[in-house]
Amino acid sequence: MSSNQLHNDDSILEDLAPEVDRDLHSKHVRGTALLWLIMTVGGVLCGIYLTPRLMPHMFAKEGRDAVLTVQVFTVVAAPVAALVCAVALYSLLHTRHRASLEHPPKDGKPLRGNALASGAWLIVSTLLVVFLLFWGLTEWSAQQVVHADSLTVNVVGNQWVWDFEIPAQKVRLEGDKSLIITKAISMSQLNLPIDVPVTFNVTSKDVTHGFWPVNLGIQVDANPRATTTVHATPDRLGKFVVRCSQLCGLNHAYMYTEANIVSDSTFEAWVAGGATKPIGSLIAKGAA
Amino acid sequence: MMSTALLEDTVLSPTAGRLYRRQNALTGLLFGVGLAVLGWFIALNTVQSNENFGSDMTVAVTMTCWVIGFNIGIGTFNAVFAWVLGHDQSREDELYGAGVSQGRSRYFKYCTDHKVVGTQYLILVFVLFFVGGTLAMMIRTQLLTPNSSFLSPQTYNAVVSIHGMCMIIATIIMVSGPFANFIMPIMIGAKDMAFPRLNAMSFWVVVSAVPPLLATFFVGGVNAGWTTYAPLSVQDGPAMICFAITIITFVVSVTVAGINTLITVLTMRAKGMTFSRMPIFVWASVIGGGLGLYAMPAFLLAMTLMVADKATGTSFFVADQGGSGWLWENVFWIMGHPEVYVILIPPVGALMEVLSTFSRKPVFAYKMIIGAMTGVAGLSIMVWAHHMFTTGWAPDLAGPFMLTTELISIPTGIIFLAAIGTLWRGSNWVRLPMYFGFLFIWNFIVGGVTGIYLSDVPADNYFHGNMFVTAHFHYTLLGGAMIAATAGLCYWFPKVTGRMLDERVGRWAFWLIAIGFQVTYMAQFYEGFKGMPRRVANYDPVFRPENLVSSIGAYVLMAGWVVLLYALVSSWRNGAIAPANPWSAKSLEWHTETPVPLENFLQDPLVINDPYGYGGVASEQIHAVFGAHAHHGANNGDHTS
Ligand code: HEM
Ligand SMILES: [Cu+2]
Repeated sequence: MSSNQLHNDDSILEDLAPEVDRDLHSKHVRGTALLWLIMTVGGVLCGIYLTPRLMPHMFAKEGRDAVLTVQVFTVVAAPVAALVCAVALYSLLHTRHRASLEHPPKDGKPLRGNALASGAWLIVSTLLVVFLLFWGLTEWSAQQVVHADSLTVNVVGNQWVWDFEIPAQKVRLEGDKSLIITKAISMSQLNLPIDVPVTFNVTSKDVTHGFWPVNLGIQVDANPRATTTVHATPDRLGKFVVRCSQLCGLNHAYMYTEANIVSDSTFEAWVAGGATKPIGSLIAKGAA
Repeated sequence: MMSTALLEDTVLSPTAGRLYRRQNALTGLLFGVGLAVLGWFIALNTVQSNENFGSDMTVAVTMTCWVIGFNIGIGTFNAVFAWVLGHDQSREDELYGAGVSQGRSRYFKYCTDHKVVGTQYLILVFVLFFVGGTLAMMIRTQLLTPNSSFLSPQTYNAVVSIHGMCMIIATIIMVSGPFANFIMPIMIGAKDMAFPRLNAMSFWVVVSAVPPLLATFFVGGVNAGWTTYAPLSVQDGPAMICFAITIITFVVSVTVAGINTLITVLTMRAKGMTFSRMPIFVWASVIGGGLGLYAMPAFLLAMTLMVADKATGTSFFVADQGGSGWLWENVFWIMGHPEVYVILIPPVGALMEVLSTFSRKPVFAYKMIIGAMTGVAGLSIMVWAHHMFTTGWAPDLAGPFMLTTELISIPTGIIFLAAIGTLWRGSNWVRLPMYFGFLFIWNFIVGGVTGIYLSDVPADNYFHGNMFVTAHFHYTLLGGAMIAATAGLCYWFPKVTGRMLDERVGRWAFWLIAIGFQVTYMAQFYEGFKGMPRRVANYDPVFRPENLVSSIGAYVLMAGWVVLLYALVSSWRNGAIAPANPWSAKSLEWHTETPVPLENFLQDPLVINDPYGYGGVASEQIHAVFGAHAHHGANNGDHTS
């Protein structure tokens, strides 16, 4: 056996049984583990505390689902991303060949693979993916539940304005009150009562638009000759913006309007008044 | 077979090459413009009068004539004509075609030498990135302030659309063009590509695809983004026709190139170059090229139907007449998602070569990487509708597409495992290619993690159509694929140009790029989190600070690329002469002279190991032996073993 061969056998042993070369081996492992721990903790904290602060206040469960998903996925991804970064950073800091314009004096360890590392990686990443999928499907199917007596709102995209219509219908408000809308209401802003489940029927008169009531956390395209549907229950008073999320030509950037979520009584008063007054003026009177 | 030295000095007879002798880029231009003018004139007097689609037809005829005329002028069809007429090419004609004794002028001709084609592609990629980069600067300048009127909404849309498509074209060919042509055949020990004339064709056809893309600006501009969703795109003016002709032409080029790569690897490998000894980059070129053969024809089909809708009154994509915009979206993404991996896989292959060479270690988990790249390619054809979660099309398929999309994270993860496994306990030699290698790892982690948010339907219902998506795909495409390709460029630069790259200036460029990039796109993630839509010419003032930051980052980023370009150009002209194997790498391209001789090797290689024997036993260290003088060959230019 040549000396070269001997050396090689050594290094194989070292991987299988760390005690052979404990010092060197555990030094690298410990350094990397420390970096990994720091970065994982950093990632998890970012996921929990930072990401929700980056997103606006949501006005419906669907929106809060999106925020929660970002939090959970960041936390779940953190250990994996941190491992990759830790190994890369450790290699950069500690096994770097210093005089970097010179050729390194020796080669690295000839690790051609490691069944344990690869297997563990595969199993862990598969489990994570199963979790992501489970999470997404659960959340998504919960969002699909349609309330029997929801308020129907028709949404029509035009180049470059949104038109909304509340067709004649009986609206179930809180506490089993109901409000009868006798004549269809057209509006250029999206005025909705709080806590009433809404079904949006969305279509377009020209090209494809994207109906995006931002803080509800729902979206669906407005397609010509087709009606698409989304649901949400606004549960917070206030206003936010409805935007177009699908490039629709020249004035796509300016295709937005306001959404107002108001109390039952304000909504009733507004409907009673012929639904013509800007709903904001009613809120100002303290009807909310 | 003549020896190479002989080839270089050969004086060819004055008729060698026949028609090719008279053809170059200029004759291409003349024929192209000539035929285009002719077509335009005829169309003007015939179809133009049709009030519904006259001008669309005229533009379609003109642009098609340009493409055909240019390719006649440059020589794409010579061999076909000669074959029909019964002339066969002599060896002398072939040598002329390969550029023998033509000096620099061969770079402007229909040249069949794969190294010339690779270099031509490299220059074209620079040009495309420069155009796309300039358009990007216009976009970010418009977005510096909320109500800027630097560009009109019309111009803004045109700029955004062409920026997108120019960059997509550039990134598709940025590795498969220069490196799969110049380097890959040498890596497998071939004398040239399997079909040298098709190789020249793939280059000149893509050249002819560029002018129609730029012409869009002069005929009204494309209004509908690079995704050209119908029916908006069908409403667009004749610019959409130019756009479609560009794509159709481009797909021809990519298809020809993909077939060539595949057949070359299947049939031209040196003795001993078994599949399990092939460098990862070769695998990546095959997988990327093969995936392109699946993906790109869908694009050709889609664009052909689009031209028909616009110029002949069919209604494949027009809902009012029984067509469907969803049909366009589906066909587009059936192309579009695999296409992002057509872009990504070859640079990842290049990156693995860089990591192995500079960590002085074998690539980690060689077979798993190949499996992972194949798995990514396979899965990528089944995920397209994740771009359509919010379109309202087939809501019941949201779950299945969420499944396939998230599954793709598993093979993608293996690529990371291989990267860090290769770095782990390496003797890491941090030269410029390695700088970009580390940057890739960070960027691609960010791109991958944000990808999983988008793959979750409830989260995508917030993020779709907003700046978050823009930031995500710039992290994967620019931060991932393009940075990995840059690592490859810095790595192979000495082989391609014969000069060492100025590393000091290169590092300055690196830091500008690395920092400018994070600033630009982290700010865009933030815009997305806050709810700013993408593709808007003006925005709500609440998004002012982050847009300002993003634009400043973009200027720094662009400055970085300009500095890198300066380093590349100045080193190409006056850099230190490169030794044959400056990195002491093992794969074959480093074991032939620089500049690489015609037909690549003075002596035929015999491959005896994979090229990753770093740190292994002596017998593993040698990738190949050459000719009779095995020992001389194996140590050629290699100062470690
Ligand atoms: C873990 C891996 C990845 C996942 C899970 C993922 C997921 C997604 C999803 C769901 C979308 C659609 C978002 C939307 O429009 O609402 C998207 C967009 C996009 N992704 Fe990825 N992605 C991944 C990696 C990549 C890679 C590697 C590339 C390119 C190299 C890429 C390029 C793109 C592009 C270009 C778009 C947007 C195109 C457009 O709308 O203009 N992604 N990604
Ligand atoms: Cu995709």
